[in-house]
Amino acid sequence: MKTSRRWAGLALFVAAILIAGSFVRAEQKDQAPAQKISGSAILIEPVHSDEVKIPAEFQMAVYEHLIKELQKSGKFKNVYRDGDQGAANTPELITLRTNVTGFKHGSEEKRQVTTVSGSTSITIHCSFVDKSGNVKLERDITGKVRFLGGNLRATYDFAKKVAQVVEQSF
Amino acid sequence: MKKRQVFASLFVGVAALLGILLHSTPAFAQQEAIWLPETKMVIGLEGIKGNKTGVLTVDKGTLVFKAGKEKSSIAVNTINDVVTGDDSQRALGGFAGTVTMAVPYGGGRFLSLFREKVDTVTIQYHDATGGLHGVIFTVTSGRADALKKELLDEGAKTSIPSAPADSKTEAPKQ
Repeated sequence: MKTSRRWAGLALFVAAILIAGSFVRAEQKDQAPAQKISGSAILIEPVHSDEVKIPAEFQMAVYEHLIKELQKSGKFKNVYRDGDQGAANTPELITLRTNVTGFKHGSEEKRQVTTVSGSTSITIHCSFVDKSGNVKLERDITGKVRFLGGNLRATYDFAKKVAQVVEQSF
Repeated sequence: MKKRQVFASLFVGVAALLGILLHSTPAFAQQEAIWLPETKMVIGLEGIKGNKTGVLTVDKGTLVFKAGKEKSSIAVNTINDVVTGDDSQRALGGFAGTVTMAVPYGGGRFLSLFREKVDTVTIQYHDATGGLHGVIFTVTSGRADALKKELLDEGAKTSIPSAPADSKTEAPKQ
């Protein structure tokens, strides 16, 4: 008698876990974008830093890494640089606008000596805008370097994360 | 009389030689105005992978970076911004530097304390289609200002003009 009760309890417990799991999965499905954004080409604008001032090398490193990583992602036929005349006549052009909202200039020396301090991080608000000016996607993305590599590696980490967002959403 | 003629011809000859030397010195200097070995191209130059070390030269209106067999150049008059900064890097860098991180008893961390100062030079330029490019170089400490000055002299522009030499002089004490 006792054994059957134990089995019944165990079965109830497993059933509860399965039901809870199915609810979580359904919620995740709701959060995922229902439809992917279409865009045949992307124009990368230079990084703006209206409120937070960042060194020129960080600004340019973010811009160049973004171009490289978005080319690597293969999601767009063309990845245009700011000012490129070819972008003007491209249909379904998406423009990536970036604005720095947070920056912490760490120290490579501190990172290598202490491991736990001296990290460099850069947070940038990214907006993907279509030709008519509608914002299709907005995200705050942070790039970090915690241990190995120079301070500029945070810009590479940021660009990799942007490429991941693009792969999920486009 | 003959002696006078000999001295006169000697004088003319020496004067001519001096004249040639005085005029030829700037010409030699102009051949390669800036020559910076041990320059690292961090990112941005077309046709060359990032973090390559090579020689950077500015000559006759062209900035040239050469790393082994790879070579890339930018016309100086297309540069619309040159900004300098400073940073530091491990004295023992590259693959060897990464390997030394595994040295036991904190040896790798100790080696990280040996660092060398470097100057950073960030350049923005436009290509033939109007596209904006950014290039970052690190050069030996103290050489960035000379590079910037040379680029500006040859037609590049900057958003941060260099401080005039006079401003470095101390203000008179009151």
